[in-house]
Amino acid sequence: MGEIKLTDVKKSFGAVDVLKDIDLHIRDGEFVVFVGPSGCGKSTLLRTIAGLEKVTGGEIEIDGKRVNDVTAADRGLAMVFQSYALYPHMSVRQNLAFGLENSNMPKQEIAERITEAARMLEIEPYLERRPGQLSGGQRQRVAIGRAIVRRPTAFLLDEPLSNLDAELRVSTRAEIAALHARIGSTMIYVTHDQVEAMTLAHRIVVMRAGRIEQVGTPLDLYNTPANRFVAGFIGAPHMNFLKGEVVEAETGTVTLVIGGGHRLLVPISHHKLSVGDKLTVGIRPQHITLANDPGSLAVKVRLVEALGSETVIHADLNGEKLLAVVSGQKQIAPGDEAHFSIAGAPLHLFDDNGLRVKGA
Amino acid sequence: MSTASSPSRLGALLMTPVHFVMRLIDAPVRGLQKATGIGGMAAFFLAPNMLIFGIFVLLPLVINFVYSMTGGTAFFLSERQFVGADQYARLFTCGSYLDPMSCQEDAFWTAVGNTFWFVILQVALMIVTALITALILNRDLAARSFWRAVFFFPVLLSPVVVGLIWKWILQRQGLLNFILYEFGGTEPYTWLTDRNWTFAATIGVSIWAHMGFYALILLAGLQAIPKDLYEAAEMDGTRPARVFWRITLPLLAPNLLVVVVLALIRAVQIFDEVYVLTGGGPGTSTLYLTQYIYETGFASALRNPGLAAAASILMGVVLVVLTLFQLGIGRKQENKGKR
Repeated sequence: MGEIKLTDVKKSFGAVDVLKDIDLHIRDGEFVVFVGPSGCGKSTLLRTIAGLEKVTGGEIEIDGKRVNDVTAADRGLAMVFQSYALYPHMSVRQNLAFGLENSNMPKQEIAERITEAARMLEIEPYLERRPGQLSGGQRQRVAIGRAIVRRPTAFLLDEPLSNLDAELRVSTRAEIAALHARIGSTMIYVTHDQVEAMTLAHRIVVMRAGRIEQVGTPLDLYNTPANRFVAGFIGAPHMNFLKGEVVEAETGTVTLVIGGGHRLLVPISHHKLSVGDKLTVGIRPQHITLANDPGSLAVKVRLVEALGSETVIHADLNGEKLLAVVSGQKQIAPGDEAHFSIAGAPLHLFDDNGLRVKGA
Repeated sequence: MSTASSPSRLGALLMTPVHFVMRLIDAPVRGLQKATGIGGMAAFFLAPNMLIFGIFVLLPLVINFVYSMTGGTAFFLSERQFVGADQYARLFTCGSYLDPMSCQEDAFWTAVGNTFWFVILQVALMIVTALITALILNRDLAARSFWRAVFFFPVLLSPVVVGLIWKWILQRQGLLNFILYEFGGTEPYTWLTDRNWTFAATIGVSIWAHMGFYALILLAGLQAIPKDLYEAAEMDGTRPARVFWRITLPLLAPNLLVVVVLALIRAVQIFDEVYVLTGGGPGTSTLYLTQYIYETGFASALRNPGLAAAASILMGVVLVVLTLFQLGIGRKQENKGKR
């Protein structure tokens, strides 16, 4: 079992509130990723679950038991640290055995667990080496191995890939996903990289300034972001935001005017919008295409990034920035006039407070 | 823009004399480099330092060695006669090396014995004290900086001041006996006239005076141990004693080794604070090697600079061995860091 429930969790360092009213229910066997910009409190949240930080308020339950006052060791969790935190003076084998020896486990069983974990992570040839003699990727495996041998209720991973180079990060990411599929334990993973979050998570927890902004599956967050922050954070390159004003509001549709007097007809099931309301329209760069028809958005091209399989166009629409990612290679240069079409693109509407307009 | 240009104008003003000097020496330095090459320039820049080192370290060392080959009480080398290795022979003339009294120069061997026990006990006790102090100062104490300063403060004192302070505390009518009498009604102890107490006092005082320095090195070592390792150990449910023996101590080992060697070198040279505190007494119970050398060469009625020089050469050999040991450790650690 590995069910973790947080109710109204708060954490302050002096006068600074780092976590504010966190409510979260992580189901057994789930892979949950905490994502957010630096300083949003995601690592602190992980550490409070681990028991390395005491909460200032609220409840933490693991498998139905309140663990606020239970020590880190007795919570039955294992943590993989960003720096790996391997003991530099011990061999890989000793690193793996250290935690098990603390609980006076029979030597035979320790050896068996180490062999099993080493085989699973393919670190058998390095068992007698010290961490200093291993590459970053190998150290990372040892750090995961140290967690695995303990057979914890849940794994806590604090930005485990951030010290690896880009190529290794992609392959290790896939290995972590495979490992989770094989072990089936609950995993909580902290990262600031939204691609890692999208590829690994069953559910993503987006955090900002100590609060949870949205919890959902990767596609939930991508398709129906709850607010402007989530919309901008999930997806790369990030979503375009244009200022708009409601000019017609009917049942089932609203008509907006955006920069340059362009009119947008947005189907919206039930809404409380009225004429004159100011909104923000969100459009993902991938949903914009190049067009020739005069009804599309006339933009001025500022920068072109030709990536081979696709072209990223930075453009200017009446003083507002607009980014488009179009497939293939395009004959277009900075300074050119171009037409962007958003016909059929999913449009996201956000109100004055940055919240998603319901029904859109 | 006055705000932007004034600092640069000030900089230019300050640099004027520098530029002037540089222009002045430019031509001769260029000429010299052409004549001697880059290697010669290195020697040219090193020369002033080597000159100072030569005059104040190397030359006295050589002169000292020459003195150790001469005899008599005359002070000037020109008036002294060459005696070869006689002074060394005199130092080593013993009935039994285990019994200083059977030696011709019994004071030398007494000093060697005293210094040996002093070094062993003082270094061992000081390292343990410094380690405990560093471990405590590394915790989240209230007013941590204040306590760090308190423990380091004695290091800043002149050894003579240290000696005097503790003389006031330990003498028969001193502060310690006063306190013991006031609060315990105890009769005065003879801290500085009882052989065993005096020996212990010299160890205690030198620990008090130097411990802060070593605690500081160990504290730096403790702070260099990543916090994550302790958190990983905490997640693993490691007991504090096991954390100390299996994580802290092994990771502190390089610093400890440096501290031990430095403390050894310093302990062998012990002199000033003890000389002020006990003068080597009572009897010869706190007579250490440096004091023996000083008294033999300069202070005794029948001064013998040759014998003192020979003894100092022998002590120098011990120090050179310790220093080489320390350099070896340093190099080993450097290689380890590179790997």
